[in-house]
Amino acid sequence: MLPSGLPENVADEEALARFLMSSSHYNATMVKPAAFLPNPKARMTTSVFRHGAEPRESLIQIAGEQRPDVTAYGAAICKAVAVRSAKLDVIADEPPPLHANIVGWPVNGTDQMLEKAEQKRAALVLVSRCTLVLFESKAP
Amino acid sequence: MPEPVSLTHAPAVYAASNAAAGDGTALSAEAATIRRSVSAAMESMEQSIALFGPKTEAISEILAVAAEHGETGWNGEGAEPISMLAVDRAVAFIRALPRSVSMPEVAPEPDGSISLDWICSRSRIASISIGVSDRLAFAWLDGTDQGHAVARFDGERIPSLILERIREAMGHAAVRAA
Repeated sequence: MLPSGLPENVADEEALARFLMSSSHYNATMVKPAAFLPNPKARMTTSVFRHGAEPRESLIQIAGEQRPDVTAYGAAICKAVAVRSAKLDVIADEPPPLHANIVGWPVNGTDQMLEKAEQKRAALVLVSRCTLVLFESKAP
Repeated sequence: MPEPVSLTHAPAVYAASNAAAGDGTALSAEAATIRRSVSAAMESMEQSIALFGPKTEAISEILAVAAEHGETGWNGEGAEPISMLAVDRAVAFIRALPRSVSMPEVAPEPDGSISLDWICSRSRIASISIGVSDRLAFAWLDGTDQGHAVARFDGERIPSLILERIREAMGHAAVRAA
């Protein structure tokens, strides 16, 4: 059991939230793939929180606490199984509480652009199974 | 979505010039000259938008995204600022798109690249990364079909493989069609 009280293994049915820190990472109906691309400065991982769309206040509070200097416009919500269906994985990574990382992004040591293309394909699969949640009235 | 730069402010500039010139009876010849110049510029811009509207809008959006994501850490996770070389290449890409192809949506990527996305629906998307290299990473999702590839863009001619995938993803939909 983790300090947050959550189990160490992220179950398939668990909801995950990826905070949207750019108004260009979503349109009127869905999240764009760039929102999920891994961070090269964080060992090719994508930061998420083990939290669903509700309670909304709690979700917004986490976004504010974790990224106080950047506006969170909303969140992409998906189930862990959606991550795994994109041939990626999600593993708990506390602290902070409820934090997890999407890992397993394709790596290609010989061709950086091919690596990027593979990652983009995985991100497309992921966003196709996400729900867009906007904070306040921040429609694009 | 970021507000497109420059062109969207043109009407306000025009209105301001009109206000400065008043009704044209009491102000100086200089004011009238300014008004004529702005009117000519507006007319030229309107012709440009009429001829190249969707491309002009897409290029404006690329510039706006670059301006909004021009500092390190724009996502709170250490993202790279959008590269100006990527901007140049993305603009060249838009200019090279055939008029029959829909214009993409624009998004910043954490490595400083620009993503051009053709989103028809959740399950029909084509996405291209334009960075500092002349090689473009792209991927597509079309129902259960999905894939990825890399193609070289010489700055003038869109690789046929990319065009084909964009057209398939959009199903020839007329979303922001050029």
